[in-house]
Amino acid sequence: MIKKKSIDKTAARVDFIQSATGVILAFFIMAHLLFEASILISKEAMYQVTIMFEGYYFFGEKYPGIISFLAAAIGVIFILHTVTALRRFPASYREYKIIKKHTQRMQHEDSSLWMIQVITGFAMFFVGFVHIYIMMTQPSNIGPYASSSRVVDEFMGPLYLVLLVSVVLHAFVGLYRVTIKWGFFEGKNTKTSRKRFKLLMKSAIAFYLLIGLASLGKYTYIGLTHDFSDGIKYKSTQESH
Amino acid sequence: MKVIYTDVLIIGGGLAGLRVATGVKERGHDAIVLTLVPPKRSHSAAAQGGMQASLANSTMGEGDNEDVHFADTIKGSDWGADQMVARMFTHCAPKAIRELAHWGVPWTRVKRGDRTAIINAQKVTITESDEAHGLITARDFGGTKKWRTCYTSDGTGHSMLYAMDNKAHQEQVEIHERLEAIALIHENGRCYGAVARNLMNGELVAYVSKATTIATGGYGRIYSVSTNAVICQGIGQAIALETGVATLGNMEAIQFHPTAIVPVGILTTEGCRGDGGVLRDVDGYRFMPDYEPEKKELASRDVVSRRMTEHMRKGKGVKSRYGDHLWLDITILGREHIEKNLREVKEICENFLGIDPAVDWIPVRPTQHYSMGGIRTKYTGESQTLKGLYSAGEAACWDMHGFNRLGGNSVSETVVAGMLVTEYISDFLESEDANLSIHTSMVEKFVKKEQEKIDALLSRENGEDAYELRRAMEKIMMDDVGIFRNGTDLQKAVDELKSLHQRAKNIEVFRSKSTAANPALVNAYRTQKMIKVALCVALGALLRTESRGAHSREDFPMRDDANWLKRSITSWPNEEDSMPTMTYEEIDIKTMELPPGFRGYGKDLTQHNPQTKVRQEEVDTIIQELETKGASRYELQDALMPFLDKLPKKYQGKNERLGESL
Amino acid sequence: MSEPRTLTINILRFDPHDKNDVPHIESFKVKEADGMTLYVVLNEIREHHDNSLKFDFVCRAGICGSCSMLIDGRPGLACRTLTKKLGSTITLAPLPLFELIGDLSVYTGKWMRGLNERLETWIHDKESSFNVDALEERMEPEVADAIYELDRCIECGCCVAGCGTIQMRENFVGAVGLNKIARYHLDPRDKRSDEEYYEIIGNEEGVFGCMTLLGCEDVCPKELPLQSKIAYLRRMMLKTAL
Repeated sequence: MIKKKSIDKTAARVDFIQSATGVILAFFIMAHLLFEASILISKEAMYQVTIMFEGYYFFGEKYPGIISFLAAAIGVIFILHTVTALRRFPASYREYKIIKKHTQRMQHEDSSLWMIQVITGFAMFFVGFVHIYIMMTQPSNIGPYASSSRVVDEFMGPLYLVLLVSVVLHAFVGLYRVTIKWGFFEGKNTKTSRKRFKLLMKSAIAFYLLIGLASLGKYTYIGLTHDFSDGIKYKSTQESH
Repeated sequence: MKVIYTDVLIIGGGLAGLRVATGVKERGHDAIVLTLVPPKRSHSAAAQGGMQASLANSTMGEGDNEDVHFADTIKGSDWGADQMVARMFTHCAPKAIRELAHWGVPWTRVKRGDRTAIINAQKVTITESDEAHGLITARDFGGTKKWRTCYTSDGTGHSMLYAMDNKAHQEQVEIHERLEAIALIHENGRCYGAVARNLMNGELVAYVSKATTIATGGYGRIYSVSTNAVICQGIGQAIALETGVATLGNMEAIQFHPTAIVPVGILTTEGCRGDGGVLRDVDGYRFMPDYEPEKKELASRDVVSRRMTEHMRKGKGVKSRYGDHLWLDITILGREHIEKNLREVKEICENFLGIDPAVDWIPVRPTQHYSMGGIRTKYTGESQTLKGLYSAGEAACWDMHGFNRLGGNSVSETVVAGMLVTEYISDFLESEDANLSIHTSMVEKFVKKEQEKIDALLSRENGEDAYELRRAMEKIMMDDVGIFRNGTDLQKAVDELKSLHQRAKNIEVFRSKSTAANPALVNAYRTQKMIKVALCVALGALLRTESRGAHSREDFPMRDDANWLKRSITSWPNEEDSMPTMTYEEIDIKTMELPPGFRGYGKDLTQHNPQTKVRQEEVDTIIQELETKGASRYELQDALMPFLDKLPKKYQGKNERLGESL
Repeated sequence: MSEPRTLTINILRFDPHDKNDVPHIESFKVKEADGMTLYVVLNEIREHHDNSLKFDFVCRAGICGSCSMLIDGRPGLACRTLTKKLGSTITLAPLPLFELIGDLSVYTGKWMRGLNERLETWIHDKESSFNVDALEERMEPEVADAIYELDRCIECGCCVAGCGTIQMRENFVGAVGLNKIARYHLDPRDKRSDEEYYEIIGNEEGVFGCMTLLGCEDVCPKELPLQSKIAYLRRMMLKTAL
């Protein structure tokens, strides 16, 4: 009879971890950008969202440590994703040149999408880490004014712009690719479902880039126009104490 | 000089060649397959429609057995076939198909319950039985009494070839790819292998073997338009002919398939008509019932092709810049059926014609398709005249097809002949006769001769252009040795080919002088060989003053059993001869199980042989006698024409069917 | 009808047996004809312009998979590519990755044979004995159809040439290999266990090496469901490893 062989399960696990962490990060980013866009409603709305994450509505007190903890957790997932995804990267310049030539010759959208993943992934390897590190170490400096100050006075604006474009592209291209890769929601006709997923991906990218850019614009605007002589803390209009 | 020794050298990596290679390996002998292309690209892959085997699983095949398959095959051959061989074949076809099922061919299966089919342009409901569920199903093909053609969608040959090649991998058969056998090595009436040219680097290699098998397929490419792959150039037949010892049989028996697309000549399977498609003329009129009221579009291939040509000659063809054609209409089968069972046809229509066969009619006309003739062999597959040389499949004239092959019998022949010839070769290898007794200097002589020929082609000046000669040959065959033939045209063809043969001795390879991969050089030496093969076909056709099966003479419309119930045998005894030598092999009526009769198409124009009547009476008496004794069909058959003892032991058993247990 | 186009055919040529030759582009002018395919074009060039031009055709009907080449950068079967679907300048190059025989002719046969041997693409069934006289083993009609659906692969090499992964990592089995495994996995006659399949493709050179660039899916001339079958294998192999 067929013997149960012992098999090396590493490859399967690594592949799964890469996809799973990617999906988590993508969903995180979707929420992150939406919360952050609360600034588009009003400064107060953004402030309320911030203190929600600091636990104010659960404990009646603000604990910025919670943000630190969340950032650290995301950091760990981020590292796991990076490490598992790195095995996909061209291992040498020679390999990079081969794949680049291949995608140019083929004029093939999905191959080009992967090149986007490589480039945006590479960018985030640096920018993403900086961002996560700041959030971990300065959790209390989040707020309508604090964040704006960071964008303008601490010159994080350009970095955030790069990060925003990279993360939005990477997240949605990634989600699309994960769906295809594992055959989720495949339906009977994979060609049709793939077309739909791609449309969804492109719409999501457009939507998130739009609100992301608008939010970044708003923070920049506040950063440029607000008088920070009172400090960077925001005073809530509703807060009693 | 590079020499490679092996037990069996197999030239050709299609179904027949691979089956032989796999089989002899299983029996413990060494085998090397020489092939022009990767085996999976062989022309066997192009057989779309199916393989005949009397499994009788589906409702429409009920009552089918070896006897019915045998009778269909003999009638189809217009009594030109070797009945002993046809019996061996029909007996083993079910075994071969089951073996292939075991090796991985995903034959389309019977599904219990009702299904709709199109028969004679009418929707019909067919109910399949519970007990047949999951067994191999079959479709209708031309010239058969029962639905007997087993299939895998319309990629039958492809799925068979892939399973076969995979099996060869498993058996670790050695495949030498892009090696072309250009001459056989032989001495004193015994074949010892072949000289092969490596098509990638030009090296000549001597393969010395105890047995050599030619399984190179047909020679359709001597015609300018053919459904055949471009590699089906008759080189296998040519190298056998060039030994001066081996003979070719029935070379003039060429089949034209009714439905190849216009103008490129790519085949649309007989399954189109088998599944219910019809032929229409310029007025959209379905004309076949007028000619053949009984079988209509599903008459034998030669008959349908002739009727189509006749109809076009009456001015009913559709005019096009590529000449007249007719329409094949499969729109009535519905899109679902086409996309599932005739998918290859759909792809071909889309890619080569830009039409959708579920909506549009397909422009078709009869086109060269199959070579019934080939290397004449005994029932063992061995050449009748050159010991140690074997042949199987379309390359051979084993002679189960006579003058017309039934659709679905060709892939079937490849695997059946393959499995039988395997055993005969293995038996030969295990006998004392198999020992090699050739001196290496002799081998060297053969290699040197080929080298000199190639050098001459490359170094000659002011010679002939091979392409020009080849196009001229193709045109002659097309115009004068086609579906309908006559003495005047054939004489002209023979004369012209004879002069082409002379000119071909003076071919020069222009510009392209590489001794390595060099398509111009390949074309040059192949053209020389092809012209010889063409000459055999034309001469055979000229001399055969009767009409039999696919060989149809306008000046001799009768089938003449009195004078022509014989096989044409062609040889080329001296290299310097300007023409092949023709002799004839009698087909003995006295031993026939099924004496010559009327095929049932058109008017009966047979000139009967006096012996036919005698034998028929004998047969009738035997049948009557045994039937009153309550004899089984096996006993009856055995009394008429015993054949089982000719088969290898392992294949002598009866075939199990739903109604017939072992 | 308007005046037929004059096509410019640019062919990447190289004869590895000629020590003085280097890869170079050579252009030929061919007058377009009705229903012209690249098969016709290339034969015309060989017959009337340059008889040393090397390329491979066998069935010339899109069935055998011999004539795959890069057509304007994309892998495809030349025999069934109509010129009218292309621009008036057409660039042809041999498939990358495979050993070059000369000009447009590549040694796909050797590569595919290696793959088949590596993946053991045959029915593994040591236990059952086969009786040549007995009824064939039954198979559900739907299963037979599903196997054939994948068995339609013609080993043309287009998916290999269209795959970015394999260009970078030559040991990757490619869609052609994964499709074959999917085919045998479906087949009830093949008795290999999931663990045995995992041994073959449960690694970075197998299904977990695929980066889902979908070049294979989009260039396959037989429109095999490669995307879906690779995804299926990935899920199945993960399940095996859990």
